[in-house]
Amino acid sequence: MIEFIDIHKAFGPKKVLRGVSLTVDKGQIMFIIGASGAGKSVLVKHLVGLIRPDKGRILLEGQDVTALTEEEYYPVRKRCAMVFQNSTLFDSMTLLDNVALPIRKHFNVSMKEARKRAIEKLELVNMADAAERFAADYGDGMRKKVAIARALTLDPEFVIFDEPTTGIDPISAGIVDDLIRDLSERLGVTCIVISHDLRSIFRVADRVAMLYQGQFRLDGPPAAYRETDDAVVHQFINGLPTGPFEL
Amino acid sequence: MATEAAPAPQPTQGEETPLLHRFLEGVGGPFTFVGREIFELIRVFALTFFYLFYRPIRWREVVRQCYEMGYRSMFFIAVVMGFLGMIMVMQTGLQAQKMLGDLSMIGALFLQLLFRELGPTITAAMIAVRVGTGLAAEIGSMVVTEQVDALRMNDAEPVQYLIVPRVIACLFMTIVLTCIAMVISFASAMAGAYLMFDLNPRTFYNTDLLIWGDFITFAMKSLAYGIVIPVIGCHAGLAAFGGSEGVGMATTRAVVNASLGITFVDFALSAFGFVFIY
Repeated sequence: MIEFIDIHKAFGPKKVLRGVSLTVDKGQIMFIIGASGAGKSVLVKHLVGLIRPDKGRILLEGQDVTALTEEEYYPVRKRCAMVFQNSTLFDSMTLLDNVALPIRKHFNVSMKEARKRAIEKLELVNMADAAERFAADYGDGMRKKVAIARALTLDPEFVIFDEPTTGIDPISAGIVDDLIRDLSERLGVTCIVISHDLRSIFRVADRVAMLYQGQFRLDGPPAAYRETDDAVVHQFINGLPTGPFEL
Repeated sequence: MATEAAPAPQPTQGEETPLLHRFLEGVGGPFTFVGREIFELIRVFALTFFYLFYRPIRWREVVRQCYEMGYRSMFFIAVVMGFLGMIMVMQTGLQAQKMLGDLSMIGALFLQLLFRELGPTITAAMIAVRVGTGLAAEIGSMVVTEQVDALRMNDAEPVQYLIVPRVIACLFMTIVLTCIAMVISFASAMAGAYLMFDLNPRTFYNTDLLIWGDFITFAMKSLAYGIVIPVIGCHAGLAAFGGSEGVGMATTRAVVNASLGITFVDFALSAFGFVFIY
């Protein structure tokens, strides 16, 4: 279980998070939605220590990870993988080496063994055929799929997906959705997904929380977003250009 | 699962900061900014120094950076130092001709100046422009595209992975480039003296004023600049935020901070030389 308790975070005068609390149960697929710049990525980066809160606590399976040192975060990051918004592949490496990198860093295995494991993960996202090509040769969609494969190399218990289907074609987006669902159902992996993709939300989410002005506006199952009377949520979900929603 | 309606968010607009608070922020802001900047620089410098002695060092990246920083800067530095040598000798030659009428010591003076100041410091200023900004832009881009976060997620310490190879390469190449720049500058000054004042190159090439202390000063300055420039450039890159605007600000910050850093180091080492060596 992941618990964010009363998280506050400001960047200079801008208060991004104003006392956010959230609990994500084991094996759950939790979607976090909100306008661009609402603080969704900022919130999830607190879990793996990429950003430290000004106030508040983060518990991972009951362990307080709020004030760990960089070295103490290493085992946490092994358990908790992250797929970044920008894919973050290293252009000078082949796709295979990109995926093999975490295996070589975390486990004392031979290059051959690391590459074998990496191929298995690339097969999950239908990218095994391109394993020996360089990351720089591919567009955003392909890179994103490889980034997902890389995140899964350490068989994490928790995976954070930051806009995993943005910029990829609908079929690939469907593959990613199925992968997330599969991770949760078959392996019991807890998934936190940041997304604007309404189709994905209604297809795979167990629970959806909407971040608005530094706090959660609505937290519940996807159906709750269709039934809500909240004008702000209604405007956001339906993509209406006018209404009470303040950007 | 039950739907939880969250409490209404705090208002974001219409919040007024007290006047005294704003006044104190305005007065103290620049001091806290400079203090934080110096603290962060010292922290990055200390971490870099620590990881310099920590295995593994990415030697292939060091070689690649040597090529990027050294080979690709050579033409720019050679041209500037070549012209600078000629301009310096022309200006000093004219003054010396008017006041003394004797140009026999101009080469010896120029050589001493080249070792003590002109060679290491002007070369460092050009390396700061060419290399420091490049480092800030490269690492700043990695920060804003979350590549540095990805490194941290893979247990790779950004200072060890990114900064250490660049510092080793810049340290080595600063010394090499400074030596090349000095040779070119002296040769062009010698040619200039011959063409403009008909001064025999054998007369110009005069090492009488050089002492061992000049070599020590030259070595100390080159080494210090070779560390200061990449650390400042990489620090500016790591501190980048936002998008392309943030990367632009990082490059500006790198060139300003590196110029200030070079000036302070130059002053400190020149004062050291004045007190203990000359």
